[in-house]
Amino acid sequence: MRTRIACFVLMALLCAGMVSATAFAAVDWKQLQGTEIRFLMNKHPFTTFIEPKLPEFEKLTGVKVVMEVFPEDQYRNKRTIELNAGAKLDGYMIMPGQDELYFWKAGWLQPLDAYIADPNLTAVEWDPKDFFGSFTKASMVEGKQIGVVINAETSLLSYRKDLFQRFKMKVPETMKDLEAVAKFFYGKEIDGKKMVGITLRGKGAAATSQWVDFLYTFGGSWTNAQGKSNFASAEDIAAFKFYGDLLRNYGPQGGTMLHWAESTSIFMEGKAAMIYDANVFKALYENPKESKVAGKVGYATIPAGKAGRVPHVSNWSLSINRNSSPERQKAAWLFIQWATNKQNSLGALLSGVPAGRASAWNSNEYKSKDDHPDWTANTMKSFELGQPQWNPPVINVPEIRDITGQVIVEAIEGKDVAAAAKKAAELMDKKMER
Amino acid sequence: MTRTETAVLKTAFRALTHFIDRRQAFAYPAPAVVTLFLIVIIPIAFNLYLAFTKWTIGLGEPRFIGLGNFIELLSDERVLNGVKVMVYFSGLSLSLEMVLGLLIAVYFNREFKGSEVVQAIYILPFAATPVAVALIWRIMLNPEIGVLNYLLQSVGLPGSLWVSSPKTVIPALVMVDVWKWTPMITLIVLAGLKSLPHEPYEAAQIDGASALQIFWYITLPLIRPVLIAAMMLRSLDNLKEFDMLYTITQGGPGIASETLYLYSYNVGFSFFKAGYGSALMVVVFLIVLVFNVVMNRLRLRAESL
Repeated sequence: MRTRIACFVLMALLCAGMVSATAFAAVDWKQLQGTEIRFLMNKHPFTTFIEPKLPEFEKLTGVKVVMEVFPEDQYRNKRTIELNAGAKLDGYMIMPGQDELYFWKAGWLQPLDAYIADPNLTAVEWDPKDFFGSFTKASMVEGKQIGVVINAETSLLSYRKDLFQRFKMKVPETMKDLEAVAKFFYGKEIDGKKMVGITLRGKGAAATSQWVDFLYTFGGSWTNAQGKSNFASAEDIAAFKFYGDLLRNYGPQGGTMLHWAESTSIFMEGKAAMIYDANVFKALYENPKESKVAGKVGYATIPAGKAGRVPHVSNWSLSINRNSSPERQKAAWLFIQWATNKQNSLGALLSGVPAGRASAWNSNEYKSKDDHPDWTANTMKSFELGQPQWNPPVINVPEIRDITGQVIVEAIEGKDVAAAAKKAAELMDKKMER
Repeated sequence: MTRTETAVLKTAFRALTHFIDRRQAFAYPAPAVVTLFLIVIIPIAFNLYLAFTKWTIGLGEPRFIGLGNFIELLSDERVLNGVKVMVYFSGLSLSLEMVLGLLIAVYFNREFKGSEVVQAIYILPFAATPVAVALIWRIMLNPEIGVLNYLLQSVGLPGSLWVSSPKTVIPALVMVDVWKWTPMITLIVLAGLKSLPHEPYEAAQIDGASALQIFWYITLPLIRPVLIAAMMLRSLDNLKEFDMLYTITQGGPGIASETLYLYSYNVGFSFFKAGYGSALMVVVFLIVLVFNVVMNRLRLRAESL
C-alpha cells in the first residue's frame, strides 16, 4: 500500500512537473540550426533598421537569412513574379489592406496561428496582446492571421497651431467644425500668402486612402450586409459629397490632381491651414530644411461624424510563403518573431518606424525623446479607434479603388454626386472579385 | 589534338562553309530573323492569344473565352473615352507639330548669321530624356506652386489650371508634346528642303511668282512625300504616347486624359487583368495599323504625282 501511494505521489509530481515544464518551456532557438531562409523586402525604413541586426538573429538561431531589398515599385513586381513562378522564397513584406485577399486566393500566404499557439515555436515574451488589436485584425484573412505588423500607419488632421492661436480658432471636434474652420481660413491673406482652408488628396484612386476615413466617420461602408456595393447609400453619398465639397470650396485649385506629394507640398509651403493625410508625414512637415511650417504644426484625430471618429489603419506586415517547405517556414517564423519582439519594435520606433506594439509607444525611452506628444497621443488614439478594413474587401483592390476614385473626382468637380455614386455602385457590383 | 581529330574538324568546317555558301539567302539573315522572332513575333503572338482569354496575373491559368473580351470592351465607357482622348490629343498635337515644323523648317532653310547655333538650341527639347522633361513640366504646370502661373500672374494675366482641369488638360499636354516633338519634324523636313532641285524656283522667279505662290505651288507639292513620311514617323510614337502622359497626369483629372493606350496599361499592370488588357492592346494596334496604311497610300500617291 505504502509503495502504491508513493508511486502515485511520484506519478502526480512527475505529471505536474511535465505540465509546468511545457507551460514555461523556453523556445529552443537553435532547433532549426543550419537552415537557410530567403526574404524579399521593400526598401522601407524598417528594412533599413533590421538588416544590420541580422547577425544577431543568426547568432541566436544558427539560421542564415538572405535578405534581398528593392525599391517599392520594383519590389512589388518582383514579389508577384517570384511568388507566381514558385521561386525559392520563404518570407516577404506585404500591405495586408491592399494585397491580402489576392495573395490569399493565389495561395501565397501561410497562416501563422499554429506557430503562435505552439509554445515550442513562440516565446511567451512575444506577447501577441501587446500589438494594437486593429493591426492584428488588419493582418487577418478569413479569421486567420497571415502577417505580423512591422509598420503601423493611420491618418491625422494636421493643422497650423500658430494660426489657430492667432485667430483663436479651436481644433475641429466635428465634421461641421472642420468645414467652418476651413471656410474661415479660405482666401485669407496671411503673411503675404493667400491661404486655403484645407488640403486633401483628390487624385482619383490615390484619394481613396484618406477619403475612406470620412466614409467610416459618416457611417458608411464599402459593402452592405448583402456584400453588394454600398456606394448608393445615403451615408456613402454624404461622405463623397462632403469630401468633394470641402476640397472644391476651401481647398487648393486643381483638387483633382492632388496626390500626397502635391498636397503635402502646399501645406509645407504654408499655404494651407489644415491637411488630412498619413500620420507619418509628420517627418516631412517638421523637417525645417524642406518645410516652412516646421514647429508650427499641431495634430488631431479625425473630427467626429455620425459614427464618431473612425480613421482607418494600414500597415506593412511580415508574412510567410505558403509554398515554402515546413522546415524553412518554421525558421521564417522564428525570424519574424524575433524581428517583431518588444526590443526590436522599440528599436524600430526609436529609429522612426511607427511600431504596432503599445509597449514601444508607452516606453520611457520613447517618451523621453518625443518632441511631439500631441502627435503621439493622437496617433495612438487613432490606432485604438482604427478601422482595419482600409481598402474594399475584394481581390481586385486597385480596380475597385479606381472606380471609387472616379466618384471622388466627380464630387470635387461639383457634379451630381448621387448619380455618380449610383453608377459606380453598379459598376463595382459587376467588377468585384472575392 | 590528334591528326584524325584535326581532320574531322576540318571536314566539319568545310561542310559548314559549303552549307552557308549554298544557302546564303537563308543563312545571312538567319540571326536577325531568329532575334526578331524571339523579341517581336513571340510577344505579339502571345498578346494576341491572351486577348482571347480571361486571366488575372497570379490567379490560375489563362482561360479561353473566345470574343468575350472584345464584347466587353464594346460596352466599356472608358474604351470610348480612350478613343476620344486619343483622337483629340493626337489630332491636335500632330497637326500643330506638322504646321509649325514645316514653317520653322522653311525659316531655317535660309542662310542667316548664327543659324547653326539657333538650330542646335532649337532641337534641345527633342534630345532631352522624355521622363525627366515630363517630371519638370509636371511641377511647372502645378496651378499653386508651378512657375507657369507665377509668370502669368507676374505680368497681370490670370493663371490657368493647366492639367488640373478636365477642360484644359489636353491642350496643356499638347503644348508639352508640341514643344518636345516639333523639332523632330523640322529636322526631317529641313533635310527634305535641302535636297529640292533649284530649277523650278528659278523658273518661278523669272515668271514673277510671289513668295507665297512659290511656297504653295512649288515647295509644298515637292516636299509632300517627306511631310507624309515625317508624319508617319511621328504618329507611330504619338498614337501610343505613354511616358509623358503617365508622368504628368496618369490619365487624370479623373479620366480626362486617359488615352486607350494608357487605359490598357492600367488594366494590365494596375488591375493585373492580362486578358482584357491584351484585348485593348489589340485595338490600339489596329488603330495604329489602319492609320499607317492610309498614310502610306497617301505617300505613294504623292510620290507618283
